[in-house]
Amino acid sequence: MKTLRQHSAKRIAHGVMIFFILLVIGLYSLVESFSAETVKLKYIQSVYFDEKGAGMKQPEGIACNDKFLLVVGDTENDRLIQYSFQERSLKAGTEIKVQQLSNPIRLQINSKGEIFALDGKKRRIIRLNPDGTFKTYVDGEGVPSPSTFVPRSFKIDPQNNIYILDIFSARVLVLNPEGKYQKQIPFPKDYGFFSDLSVDSKGSILLIDSVRAMVFSAPKDSNSFSPITKSLREYLNFPTSITNDNRGTIYIVDENGSGIIILGQDGSFLGRQLSMGWNEGLLYYPSQICINERGEIFIADRGNSRVQIFTLVK
Amino acid sequence: MSSKLKCLLLSGVIITLFVFPLAYGQNKFKLKPDAKGKLCLSCHDNFKEKLKNPFIHTPVKSGECSECHNPHTSSHGKLLDADPNKICNKCHEGIVPKNAKSNHKVVMEGNCVKCHDPHASKNKFVLLKAGNELCFDCHKNIGNAVAKVKFKHNPVEKGCINCHDPHASTKGKHLLKNDLVALCVSCHKTDRPSFAKQHMNYPVGKANCSSCHNAHGSDKAGILFNNAHAPVANRMCGQCHEAPDSPNALRTKKTGFELCRGCHASMMNDVFNKNRVHWPLVDKVGCLNCHEPHASEQKKLLTGEMNSLCGKCHPDTMEKQEKLAELERKEKEAKASSKGAAARGKEGAITHNPVQGGECSACHLPHASDSAYLMNKPFFIESCGACHDWSKHATHPMGAKVVDLRNKNITMDCLSCHRSHGTGNRYLIPFPTVTDLCVQCHKQYKR
Repeated sequence: MKTLRQHSAKRIAHGVMIFFILLVIGLYSLVESFSAETVKLKYIQSVYFDEKGAGMKQPEGIACNDKFLLVVGDTENDRLIQYSFQERSLKAGTEIKVQQLSNPIRLQINSKGEIFALDGKKRRIIRLNPDGTFKTYVDGEGVPSPSTFVPRSFKIDPQNNIYILDIFSARVLVLNPEGKYQKQIPFPKDYGFFSDLSVDSKGSILLIDSVRAMVFSAPKDSNSFSPITKSLREYLNFPTSITNDNRGTIYIVDENGSGIIILGQDGSFLGRQLSMGWNEGLLYYPSQICINERGEIFIADRGNSRVQIFTLVK
Repeated sequence: MSSKLKCLLLSGVIITLFVFPLAYGQNKFKLKPDAKGKLCLSCHDNFKEKLKNPFIHTPVKSGECSECHNPHTSSHGKLLDADPNKICNKCHEGIVPKNAKSNHKVVMEGNCVKCHDPHASKNKFVLLKAGNELCFDCHKNIGNAVAKVKFKHNPVEKGCINCHDPHASTKGKHLLKNDLVALCVSCHKTDRPSFAKQHMNYPVGKANCSSCHNAHGSDKAGILFNNAHAPVANRMCGQCHEAPDSPNALRTKKTGFELCRGCHASMMNDVFNKNRVHWPLVDKVGCLNCHEPHASEQKKLLTGEMNSLCGKCHPDTMEKQEKLAELERKEKEAKASSKGAAARGKEGAITHNPVQGGECSACHLPHASDSAYLMNKPFFIESCGACHDWSKHATHPMGAKVVDLRNKNITMDCLSCHRSHGTGNRYLIPFPTVTDLCVQCHKQYKR
């Protein structure tokens, strides 16, 4: 009898424990979703010049990392500018100019501080040493037939793997940190035009379709993409760049609409931030976006020939 | 109760439930037996002449005027018994099948009277006009082209409805009575040696005929579209395709821009020497994103008129243009009907002519450019200056040496104050009023 009672008491205790665990999870999700819904961008500062006072001209590329490094692709000036942004203070602004690079339109930095830039004119990815000297081209060693690939954009994950958006052969190429071919994932069947890709902390690859205004995703280890949103046309005009923060929140640059669209990691619409204009805090045909783990957001404000820095406010 | 009585009672119930309402419906206005139609004609005397036509709408013929009209009152014009755009559906409900692949816009809008006379006509199906004349009333461009072309397509001459269903089609696009290829091969036998010979022995029996041929006729032999790609016109399919006897004869020798580069090397080299390429040119589809490979109605083998072509990928820009054009049209109407101050207060365009007219290439280069936004000139002032004499229009300082007060890194040009695709505001400015625009820089005048 006693054993039966003890058994029942144990079961009740277990039930109560499970209830509390579920309650905590529920509350956490609620707080999470609430915080996600109230993401806002707060303006910090704009960057116009390099350390010598030479102005940027139509910068399209931008890359940042968690070691305070900020690199700008000063596209029309065929150069990169390297800054340090720490505790809201911008330092340096060193020009990086190599003869192998013109028209840098997309940038990335790997964990070793190496800088990768997509040359918009030659449509080729270049790899620079942390000091800005030329290292090599990323030509996708071992890429299977068709061997021709045209990179429209690329991303580097925390493990330094390289993901290339190959629009010529309609696929995403995955290369290892040395630039050797690992695998390829074909574009989905029905798409308009992919302008950019991103890789989230879970290893899922995201594609932004500029024409259909949709986001597609391929979970890690999957070999196909599927849409995670319907057309986002009601929220944006012409999306061209996509990234995500370390919590999976997705940020999309609406180039023609000059704004930033924020989506949850499931593709749910969370809001639209910023608008078109010339004054600081406004955008004019923005290009690439970058977010670091401190929630600092860097936007290549192409039409305004500057970079703007914001912080996430939740 | 006997079974006979039961049957009688059941029959009585059935008559009460079904036959009486039917009879009531047929004579809902309780007209005298000889009053139908005749009663209406006693006043509508001139209608008698109309009824002499050989084709009379069935309800009119049987004198059921009240099938469509209410003799007492109505919320619709001509005392119609229902919405004029829906009234025909009362009897002709299935005219547009639910699974239609294409449908005629006027039918969907319920504008049946655009083609049919609801009472009587001298044409079959009470059509307003006979044969193609009726279709060409709206489809004027096709009518004009069909009349002028050197090489005519016989079925078109005989009547549009040889190939098109006037209401809707469950089988093909463009109201075609069948899938395009099936329709063509119903007359053109693909197994004949002459067919193979005309197509250089390529197995095109199941290929898209309208990729080369204009079904409405053309000035080119074989009714090829007027603008034919040189290899097609010269019957040199092998320039792009595998040999006709190969297993994949219709496959192209290369894909994307690499195929076109063989002949258009000079143009391609020029494109690839520019700083910025129009990205679709180098994707999987390449040149065929915008150009037809075989023949086209459009110049430069474009797949369509430029506004629809560019709008395919840039719907945001084109949809905005439609909205702006509509806004401008409404304002013009309002201006025409208003007088005095209201009319004077509205000046300055909302729309930009080249954008409205689909002349995207007036400012942008479609393949590649050294300038941002694929502009055709290095500076916006130069692009705009091709049409606008800005130095006379604006006294505001502009040019490479005039820094924009809002942003120390850009200089003043036309786009500092205007947006070439329009904003919804007059003069294409990004603010509701000129004052709002000026005080962006000249803050001291801000009120």
